[in-house]
Amino acid sequence: MANSNLPRRIIKETQRLLSEPAPGISASPSEDNMRYFNVMILGPTQSPYEGTFVQLLIGGVFKLELFLPEEYPMAAPKVRFLTKIYHPNIDKLGRICLDILKDKWSPALQIRTVLLSIQALLSAPNPDDPLSENIAKHWKTNEAEAVETAKEWTRLYASGA
Amino acid sequence: MDPDDTSYDGYEEDAYYDDDYDDYNNYADVIGTDSNPNHFAGRSQKSCTILKDEDISQRQEADITRISTVLSISRNEASILLRVYGWSFSKVEDEWFGNEEEVRKAVGWLHDEVVTMDHTSEGRITCKICYDSSEEFTSLSCGHPFCNECWSRYFQVSIDDGPGCLMLRCSEPSCRVVVDQDVINLMVCDEYNDKYLRHLFRSYVGVSEAIKWCPAPGCKFAVEFDQYKSESFDVLCDCSYGFCWNCLEESHRPVNCETVRKWSIKNSDEAENVNWILANSKPCPKCRTPIEKNKGCMHMTCRLPCKYEFCWLCLGDWRDHKHYYSCNKYETGKKSGEYDEDEMKKEMAKKLVEKYAHYYERWAANESSRRKAIADLDKLQEKHLEKLSGIHLTPVTQLSFIIDAWLQIIEARRILKWTYAYGYYLPENEGAKKILFEHLQGDAESNLERLHHCVEDELQPFIAVEVTSQEFQDYCAKLKNMTSVTKNYFENLVSAFENDLADVECHGACTNVDAAG
Ligand SMILES: [Zn+2]
Ligand SMILES: [Zn+2]
Ligand SMILES: [Zn+2]
Ligand SMILES: [Zn+2]
Ligand SMILES: [Zn+2]
Repeated sequence: MANSNLPRRIIKETQRLLSEPAPGISASPSEDNMRYFNVMILGPTQSPYEGTFVQLLIGGVFKLELFLPEEYPMAAPKVRFLTKIYHPNIDKLGRICLDILKDKWSPALQIRTVLLSIQALLSAPNPDDPLSENIAKHWKTNEAEAVETAKEWTRLYASGA
Repeated sequence: MDPDDTSYDGYEEDAYYDDDYDDYNNYADVIGTDSNPNHFAGRSQKSCTILKDEDISQRQEADITRISTVLSISRNEASILLRVYGWSFSKVEDEWFGNEEEVRKAVGWLHDEVVTMDHTSEGRITCKICYDSSEEFTSLSCGHPFCNECWSRYFQVSIDDGPGCLMLRCSEPSCRVVVDQDVINLMVCDEYNDKYLRHLFRSYVGVSEAIKWCPAPGCKFAVEFDQYKSESFDVLCDCSYGFCWNCLEESHRPVNCETVRKWSIKNSDEAENVNWILANSKPCPKCRTPIEKNKGCMHMTCRLPCKYEFCWLCLGDWRDHKHYYSCNKYETGKKSGEYDEDEMKKEMAKKLVEKYAHYYERWAANESSRRKAIADLDKLQEKHLEKLSGIHLTPVTQLSFIIDAWLQIIEARRILKWTYAYGYYLPENEGAKKILFEHLQGDAESNLERLHHCVEDELQPFIAVEVTSQEFQDYCAKLKNMTSVTKNYFENLVSAFENDLADVECHGACTNVDAAG
């Protein structure tokens, strides 16, 4: 479909994503649109988003979609969580508040760096720059309880199924 | 005769560096002469200065010179600092002298090492954006190389994206070096350079409370208004668009911003229409087709093929109604208060809608008439004036009274339009005011209609065929007279409105003897 004239850069990035995936991250382009990626990020250990070990890792798998707009890499990719997640910088629709996806975007950043930054955001929620006011408030007033909710949601929704 | 072109440039240069706004006032008076459509309404049209691209650019250049001298930095650097700190000298100076290191860091002028390029085995470098190796690379002061094609695309996408392009940094993600204008200039075509400059000019205007962009679509001028802290005022842009400094709506004198706001909300409010439907139609109880009530009686018959007959009040089958024109269910319901309130609400809603429709119709009619007048004036200036001048052996400059007549019409239509919005909000219990209002409005309106007719229709023969010079002279005198009479009527109307129709008795329409004859 829209795959003819795919810039060399996107082809190269895609090849590398597939051949040397970053730890805990998988991203593969959709068959009919090479600009659309199905992404899975494992919740980082020591975070409320990690899976549980019962002989093997269960859950803690977050699905995302990533789309490279026509202007990419001059404009940032569009990324969204598909899995429900309780996080102050991610809203109900899965939109992510991350500087490099907005004004701090630089064309030398890559899909890989974006996904690593999102993974890092799961380890370090930033309630001072919130996207979900309520969750951020929860985080600030009672972090322990908020973390419990995040764990609960991870169990409920991030099963990877 | 055209004052717009006289003494503008020289005057402006002198005036700018002078903080004394009197210069602007004088300047505004210079343009506020006959060809100014709002001239006769000039009393509340306070002095303003129209800033064109060159003027803004000149001011920016002057600011850049000043900062670069004071801080001993390059002009490019000064320009970046001014953008970062919203074109405020004091901010730039405070920050710079407060902590130069921090400022330098913030705009990326501190770098320990300048990067040297990594060459591939073949001695070429690979661009970190497109992954291609190209011949032509460019880097900022930091030395991070990217191919020219990537820079150029990056700049274009960012310029299209908005004012963020004024603060682009090196494409190396960790690098904070700000891209300066020269690099952008080099990398993009004229079209994008122009767009970039527009963003740059806009950034200048955005920071001063005394400067606003003309809201007319496509207009590129900014308006500087030194009395912005006072109440709302009409200002007139050089593009001939008059607008309210306060609310940025099209000039709406003599009504206030609040009335305009309410009125435009009202106009866009679909609720009125919904109410109207509610008050005038009901769904047929059998087939649900909306049936409009347009007669006094309650006996409704649905359209073909349904033809169901029902009672408007209770929606019951008409055959159950023993007494013609009387609904028992309604009567009993009325006693128990069941239908009564409902019907009353609907009646009220209907009345309100009718009232609104009355004023809106006239408001809109004057607006469309005003637009047509603007188009007619254009046509006159484009061709008819020349023709008239040829036929009647009169210099075009001596025919300017026809233009004045049109300008008067345009302005009067605008005022009249707003009086209808005013009328809609005039409280029902202010009977005396209402009478005065309608009297003033009616007089002004009928004068305007005559003037409009005189210049729209009666002028035609003089363009089309040869007539005696005496006839044309008579026409000229009549038109001049009518213009000035209409002007008086509208001046009175405006001042009466601005006094909220108080003391209208003393200087109402009667002060103007109908001199047009
Ligand atoms: Zn490149
Ligand atoms: Zn750099
Ligand atoms: Zn304008
Ligand atoms: Zn206003
Ligand atoms: Zn009935």
